Amino acid sequence: MRLLLGSRQFLFLMFAALAVVPAVANPYILYICNLGMLYVILAVGLNILVGYAGQFALANAAMFGIGAYGAGLLQVKLGAPYFLAAPGGAILAMLIGTAIVFPALRLSGIYLGLSTLAFAMFSQWVLLHWNSVTFGGGGFPAPHLDLSPLPIGPDTGIYFLSWLVTIALVAFAWSLVRSRIGRAFVAVRDGEIAAQSLGIDLLRYKALAFAISGFYAGTAGALYAPLLGYVSPEGFDLFQMIIQKSMIVVGGMGSVMGSVLGAAVMVFLLELLRAFKSTQEIVFGSILIAFVMFRPRGLVTLLQRLPGWEEPLSSFDPRRLFAPAASEPASSPLGASPELADEGRR
Amino acid sequence: MMMFGYLLASGITTGALYALVALGITVVYKATRSVNFAHGDLFMIGGFIAYTFHVMWGLPYVVALLLAVAAGFAIGAVVERLAFRPLRDQGLVSLLLAAIGLSFILKGTARAVWGGKGDFIPFPPIATPSPISVGGILVVPQQLIVLAGAIAVMAIFAGLFKFTKLGRMMQATADNAKAAKLVGIPVNRVYVYTMAIGTAIAGSAAVLMAPITLLYPDIGFVLFIKSFAAAVLGGLTSIPGAVAGGFLIGLIEAMSGGYISTQVQDVSSYIVIMLVLVFMPQGLFGGRALRRV
Amino acid sequence: MTMLSVRGLSISFGGVQALNDVSFDVEAGEIIGIIGPNGAGKTTLLNTISGLNRATAGQVSLDGVPIKGLRPPQIASLGLGRTFQMSQLFPGMTVLENVMSGLHRKMRAGAFAAAFRTRSMREEEQATAEKAWEALRYVGMERFAHHPGTALSFGQQRVIEIARTLIGEPKLVLLDEPAVGLSVNRVAELDRLLRRIRDEKGVTLIMIEHVVRLVMGVCDRVLVLNYGVKIAEGKPEQIVADPQVIEAYLGSEFDAKRLAS
Repeated sequence: MRLLLGSRQFLFLMFAALAVVPAVANPYILYICNLGMLYVILAVGLNILVGYAGQFALANAAMFGIGAYGAGLLQVKLGAPYFLAAPGGAILAMLIGTAIVFPALRLSGIYLGLSTLAFAMFSQWVLLHWNSVTFGGGGFPAPHLDLSPLPIGPDTGIYFLSWLVTIALVAFAWSLVRSRIGRAFVAVRDGEIAAQSLGIDLLRYKALAFAISGFYAGTAGALYAPLLGYVSPEGFDLFQMIIQKSMIVVGGMGSVMGSVLGAAVMVFLLELLRAFKSTQEIVFGSILIAFVMFRPRGLVTLLQRLPGWEEPLSSFDPRRLFAPAASEPASSPLGASPELADEGRR
Repeated sequence: MMMFGYLLASGITTGALYALVALGITVVYKATRSVNFAHGDLFMIGGFIAYTFHVMWGLPYVVALLLAVAAGFAIGAVVERLAFRPLRDQGLVSLLLAAIGLSFILKGTARAVWGGKGDFIPFPPIATPSPISVGGILVVPQQLIVLAGAIAVMAIFAGLFKFTKLGRMMQATADNAKAAKLVGIPVNRVYVYTMAIGTAIAGSAAVLMAPITLLYPDIGFVLFIKSFAAAVLGGLTSIPGAVAGGFLIGLIEAMSGGYISTQVQDVSSYIVIMLVLVFMPQGLFGGRALRRV
Repeated sequence: MTMLSVRGLSISFGGVQALNDVSFDVEAGEIIGIIGPNGAGKTTLLNTISGLNRATAGQVSLDGVPIKGLRPPQIASLGLGRTFQMSQLFPGMTVLENVMSGLHRKMRAGAFAAAFRTRSMREEEQATAEKAWEALRYVGMERFAHHPGTALSFGQQRVIEIARTLIGEPKLVLLDEPAVGLSVNRVAELDRLLRRIRDEKGVTLIMIEHVVRLVMGVCDRVLVLNYGVKIAEGKPEQIVADPQVIEAYLGSEFDAKRLAS
């Protein structure tokens, strides 16, 4: 059965539907959809770092927090207007996130994961205790988005801003991975040694991956501050990191579409879990384990077999342009002709 | 001088605790090359189970200790067999997420069965609470019991590892799982035993520690990070290193808490992890450097 | 003209002297074979030349440019290509994308150009894909262009790796056991391919190889390593008769009698 939608059409429909939400939904649903879009940004950014570039770094929630704190503090302490404070927060997160590339050059796997996690917890501690700058554990109120003189309220305002930013960032990521940069990331993930021999500078591309995920997380943070109207260390802790990690695993690592799916599923799941009250954690933990056992490559793999859902690493689908010449026999993948019969008895 | 003595005693006691948990982490790492994120939560469950036996059912402390250890052993074996073994080939991320899932399940179970979100469960002290003087330092007898118990567990474990057949199989598997398989060692079963023993050690640590520290469902992760810091400091592949690391972290925490500020106490272990992994990834006693060539 | 010049190259790992004072020259357009018992340091030699390992002593120059101490990407951009013993095709990409990666360092599009899909980036992608297609045709693998990188046999993967290296127009290519596991027919094909690469593209080749047939058939000269030391150098027929070489192998592979038949 051929699905009528490809991934591009799906995204188009999704964003179109999201555009209509403020007109029809109550404030709570509006908030949830807004949050969902921020999760999409977080998941896409994290997937570029972990899924594409293969860097098992667990500091993204901290970058999220730094973006929120950066944007919020620039407004509250320095009186900066939002359109300056927000990029400021995002860039701050990007810079700090990029600094993590240095341990990433020497560490990998668990060691990278746990050292970045330690860094994240250290950042959390700083946010909690550096009272003079960060207002400590209680946090501080952040201004809502004020779009006057336009006749748009703060809730709708932040919603549409998030909508625009999400579309832009998803589009950038989509294009970025379908280019030599995306191929370089996958090369770094799949074979560092061969990648170097092809001229790919590991430091540069790892740093780029960290910078991108830091920037995306920081941007999400800068949008989160006015959404909540409040900034405190709570939302940027280990649990947030777990949510982000789960999103990309559930959705599918190494796939932009997977990140979007994962974010949508997670938002839905978190809402669903509210119904479980006291057994929330048990349900969540069981779902995680079930996912990892039965769909470890993510939900998106279910879709990737369908036409229109592939995610090539080049900027147009070469399948349409380069096909074996018609004169050649249509051979099975491993070559039916005797010339190409499998010889390597491994 | 009084303060230093107090801090020293306190540091050694918590250090013994970290040493035990770090020992569990290192043992499992040596065998399986992976770190079990839920290790701290297994510790926590061990403590809660002991609470049930000792406080709720009134069994004597030592019996509760043994039962908790046995329960830890069983739970570890089950977790390995059911959850980790099928995922072992899937790579880090899957194992991590499975461990996270396990962590949630354990925490949720603890809250559901024994208490609420922040409830601490009180564990009565085993010995009289009045301090006695050891070499001029005032200590609470419970601290001595913890220390003695921890040393006993470590000694038992060391003996097991060095002198029994199982211990040698564990060593072989840790060094080279493929070769071990070729030689006929039942590697999967060794993993099960390793996890079981690691969890049992964590359980014993919980029981020893429970009378001194309050036990609560969220203690798992905090303890995991600190003990991981200890294991890394000692060099993740070295068992004596884990023990040394544990005491060191305990002392660093106590000293920084006493002389700098209590807030620094928490963060000192994070800093240790970052510094060690970046500048000295093989830790104090680890053999091979963790870098790839 | 000397394409590669190695002088007194030494490297030790934690007390083990893996290479000891190795010196040799390679002229442009030669096909050189490197042989030796397992553990002789052959792959280490390649790794050191290509920059993956840092030599403790000695000099290496590529086409007159000193390359010792440079990092692999820099050496690659000076015209060195490399294939690996264990196939290093990227499993997360298709075969065509793998070969396109071979042109990475010659492409210009940066992150911003990619994110915004500028026209120059798209044109560059198209041109790269076309070149990659051509490279696959050159080695006869274009029918697998859209297969995942590792869905093929090792022999096929190795040939694709060669295409991936060739696309970058290197001056010198280091090959690590290109023929391992290949059947007799495939070795003959590889022999022809290597000659074509040298004749048609002017690429100098250095290959580590155990397959005698290939070494004898295609190499102009052969170097023999044992325990990190170069013990012989010369034409294949000379090497085969060299008593030191035979002794190093204990007669297992280079039995002159067997070779004569």
